[in-house]
Amino acid sequence: MPDLDPPLVPARMLNEFVYCPRLAILEWVDGEFAPNADTVEGAVRHASVDRPGYRVRLRQRTPSDDPGADQPARAPIEQIRSVELSDAGLGLIAKIDLVEIDRDRVQPVDTKKGKRPHVERGAYEPERVQVCAQGLLLRSHGYPCDSGILYFAGSNERVEVPFDDELVALTRSKLGELREAAGAGVLPPPLVDSPKCVRCSLAPICLPDETRFLRDAGSPPRQLLPAADHTFPLYVQQPGATVRKDGDLLVVFDKDEKLGEMRIREVSQLVLMGRVSATEAVYRELLRLGKPIVHLSSGGWLAGVTDGLPHANVRLRQEQYRTADDAAKCLRIARWIVVSKLTNQRVLLRRNGGDEIPESTIEGIRHAAQAAQRAETIDTLRGHEGNGGRLYFGHFAALLRQSPFRERFDLEGRNRRPPRDPVNGLLSFAYSMLSREWVTTCRTVGLDPFLGFYHAPRYGRPSLALDLMEAFRPICADSTVVRAINNGEIGPTDFVERMGSVNLTDGGRRKFLRSFEQRLAQEVVHPVFGYRLSYRRVFEVEARLLSRYLLGEIPTYEPMTTR
Amino acid sequence: MRKLLIVTYDISNPKRLRKVFKAMKGFGQHLQLSVFRCDLTDMERFEMIGLLQGLIHHDEDQILLIDLGASDGRTHRVDSIGRVVPRERREPRIF
Ligand code: SF4
Repeated sequence: MPDLDPPLVPARMLNEFVYCPRLAILEWVDGEFAPNADTVEGAVRHASVDRPGYRVRLRQRTPSDDPGADQPARAPIEQIRSVELSDAGLGLIAKIDLVEIDRDRVQPVDTKKGKRPHVERGAYEPERVQVCAQGLLLRSHGYPCDSGILYFAGSNERVEVPFDDELVALTRSKLGELREAAGAGVLPPPLVDSPKCVRCSLAPICLPDETRFLRDAGSPPRQLLPAADHTFPLYVQQPGATVRKDGDLLVVFDKDEKLGEMRIREVSQLVLMGRVSATEAVYRELLRLGKPIVHLSSGGWLAGVTDGLPHANVRLRQEQYRTADDAAKCLRIARWIVVSKLTNQRVLLRRNGGDEIPESTIEGIRHAAQAAQRAETIDTLRGHEGNGGRLYFGHFAALLRQSPFRERFDLEGRNRRPPRDPVNGLLSFAYSMLSREWVTTCRTVGLDPFLGFYHAPRYGRPSLALDLMEAFRPICADSTVVRAINNGEIGPTDFVERMGSVNLTDGGRRKFLRSFEQRLAQEVVHPVFGYRLSYRRVFEVEARLLSRYLLGEIPTYEPMTTR
Repeated sequence: MRKLLIVTYDISNPKRLRKVFKAMKGFGQHLQLSVFRCDLTDMERFEMIGLLQGLIHHDEDQILLIDLGASDGRTHRVDSIGRVVPRERREPRIF
């Protein structure tokens, strides 16, 4: 559909476009935004400019301002704060921090948080272009304006930026380029090994080095994303519990008894399991902050997700749907998924099963993976996945130390719906938790968790989340079950058996969630990129890499495998 | 990367004092009267500074931020004499 009324370009976006074209398109078109220390610090400085009583240091009068020394004192310089201007002809819009009017001279003043850089022309190009765009807007509104001011709050210095022909021409041509790039519907490529990426708040979303590495190889990527998580889920599963908001805290009550609290700042998502509730104030605040509320049955079945507005990255979802309609592409992605899963199953058995695992089993899974790599149809691929899975679960009991659990599992084999022994109960619960984690990860990056490439979409089934979690079933779910049992984190009293089905008690569920969360927080060395990061971060990187693949930026999407 | 900060404040007006206390509960652990321990990312530190700047009176009140350095992967010991300081970490909560 043609856009009859093209949106106005914010002058701030022009700044970002000059800094890095990809950054501006990610933010402006795809709606990606990630505050970081720099952007928050900038906002704090801006807030103090807006506060009454705060004065940007006035321009010092110099003799050249007052050529006739005997003239009477000039009228004081007038300052107007926070001026919003737009112009459809220019196609620009800006909110100007401050406009200074000195008789017939008008200057926009833009506040920057840092110190004045010691570079030619007194400031970097992105800032100069931004203030020039503000100047062009003032001009188009009839004010004489031939220079602007960059005020560097960090060193309390003013730098005058003359709007000479060269800067005006540069500003206009960048404006044209930005419109063109936004209209073209493709993401500009990432900068190559640029120091700019280190300071860029979108680096963990853009993945500049990883994209370059997967496309052209070369030196391994720099680690531009943090290794550890800063926010974590808040799980509420004690029957009857209620979550309330108290200032910046979420407080969990059982009737009037306070069970505990968590700072909202540290919450990544609220997980409500079974018969629990939260107040409207909690919903409002979490939605405002873009933190989802996940509703599960007490057994872990996904009932729904309460989420704010959908992610603005429409283009990504379009590509996802297009790809899901393309059988050949689906098969390719499905193969990568199954091969990674089988590989990880084999590694887990070999590493933790010791001598009890016959070499033929290890070899059998390897063969299944090799065959999966060449599968010509989804059905044959499912067959290979099934063959490998049977070998794997046929010897899974060898990983377990505690004998009553082990014997029953050995007898029963893998079963579900309902699980008939404690190990199967734990496995099912672990998979539910893993798929929940992937549902929220998909939403974070802007993918639709309900339309997959391998798992067929079925009502209420998060097929894409199920696709993406496959490779991590062995290394994040199965391994957590094995460890929880072998370390005695979970014991026989943590289960209840009712009519042939075995389920966790409330206490057992709490213990297992703790084990599961420990696993997700565990840091691993990424086998391809070589840096260390938590499994939870790995999930997010994987989902972003899938997005990059769907958008055509990298040639493959191969889920992580361990060695 | 997160840093451990001790935040102490001296606020001359009871209304502002309550506001600062309430705001600080969102950032860290209340250790003592007017003393908090906070384990913050750079971004959160600036958020906190921005918020506090707007709450206090700049001539009458004062807030100190004492930076104890990187907190990731290290445990900073706070020894106490008398009441024990409860251990608190950033982690998932399960109720
Ligand atoms: S990380 Fe680098 S390439 Fe990506 S948007 Fe930021 S500056 Fe541009």
